Amino acid sequence: MIKPFFVSLGLLMMLVGMISIHYFYSDDKTSEKMLQNISSITQVSSASLSVAYYEPRVLFYEKMDNPAYPQMLSINKMDFVYAR
Amino acid sequence: MLGKRLMNSTFLHFLTLLLFKQKSKHIGAVLISVIIIFLLSAVLFISSSLQHSLLSTLKTQADFSVSRVQAGKSVNTPLEWVDKIMEINGVSKVAPRVYGRYFFTPRENAFLVVGIDFFDEQNSEELKKLVEQLDLKTFLSSEGMLVGEGVKKFLSAHYFKDYFTFKTPQGSFKKVKISQTLPIKANLIANDMIIMPIDLAREIFGMEEDEVTDVTFNVPNDAEWDNIITKLHLMFYDVRVVEKREIKKAYENLYNYKGGLFLILYLVTITTFILILYQRYSMVYSTERKEIGILRAIGWSIKDILKLKFYENLTIVLVSFILGVILAYLYVFIWDAPLLSQIFLGSANLSNNVSFTPVVEFGLLGSIFLFYAVPFLAAVLIPAWKVAVTPPKEAML
Repeated sequence: MIKPFFVSLGLLMMLVGMISIHYFYSDDKTSEKMLQNISSITQVSSASLSVAYYEPRVLFYEKMDNPAYPQMLSINKMDFVYAR
Repeated sequence: MLGKRLMNSTFLHFLTLLLFKQKSKHIGAVLISVIIIFLLSAVLFISSSLQHSLLSTLKTQADFSVSRVQAGKSVNTPLEWVDKIMEINGVSKVAPRVYGRYFFTPRENAFLVVGIDFFDEQNSEELKKLVEQLDLKTFLSSEGMLVGEGVKKFLSAHYFKDYFTFKTPQGSFKKVKISQTLPIKANLIANDMIIMPIDLAREIFGMEEDEVTDVTFNVPNDAEWDNIITKLHLMFYDVRVVEKREIKKAYENLYNYKGGLFLILYLVTITTFILILYQRYSMVYSTERKEIGILRAIGWSIKDILKLKFYENLTIVLVSFILGVILAYLYVFIWDAPLLSQIFLGSANLSNNVSFTPVVEFGLLGSIFLFYAVPFLAAVLIPAWKVAVTPPKEAML
């Protein structure tokens, strides 16, 4: 059973090798450059989050607010502090 | 020489015989381990890849952005602030930004519209690198826009093949030509993005000519940053300042929360799994007890038995861990993590197909291995040792 054991081990090592080759030789520079280009042009670096329209898309610049119900005030912890 | 010795080793022969002959016994443990390791590694791969990509884009971002606030909300910023900020010593590259979300009412979807100055030399150079076929002269001769992959798909599905008609807050309509699509490799940022000339963006948002969304600028000397913030607060009383270092810190923590949530789930699952394993090996009538009893009866020492159990289970641990990590790598970096990516990028608006940049944190993988291997081996070796120290006769009963 030593032979099949070493054959399986070899197959596993081959998989690890293939993954390593992909990791070290993958072309991540192009996509990184493109992301840097687009963020340099637009000055927006937030990920394109697929969020609902009332959730912030440009992080840190937009606040959570429901435009459909602007009269509905959002609850924050201060409301609970002054509840009484 | 070593190969020959290995092939003739009785211990190795017996170990491999045990592993192959008792396949059905090990396959369950391997399968559960692979699933647990796969899920956790996949989540950690996605979070570190997103973090890495977003942090790399911060290099090109301005150090500060300021906007006007009214009643705690950001409102349009006067363009004259640009000149006022320029007067502060130590400030460079002051630029206005016009951006916002355009809500497409019929389908309740939103696009991020960004207005840029196409006549700016740096912008036009970067654009040429990004969209190679773009002819700026033709583009600027008519009212056009560049759209992200997600926007293009969405508009095409709604019969806006070449043009899209925006509705302005004044109630008028603005027909804008879809000139080019932004490259798919920029989807992480640009999927729902529309880039257009700054004046056109102002018109669509109903902004005055002397208004912008916010103003960005750089302060090359880091030591001056706090000083500049004080100056800004003295200059304007209704200002909100966002610093790049705040954003950087937030990006570092952004996906740690979701990654942490999975880590807790992992800990719960692995504890349950280890308990089950421990239970299985310490059962009174288990085959394990019998096997150890026989080995002890034919003269194996406790040390030999523990050595055998250790290597047997180490093989299972290593195989499961390597398989789990390989599967997670393939799932995230080759197949772009279908389903799981939605946890990180959301699915409430336009669907986003992001190609993740391969980023593997070896330190983190090492920690996962330790958190998995040590309890696994302990859960097997402790009951095995308990059986091995009992007299063989009792163990086989």
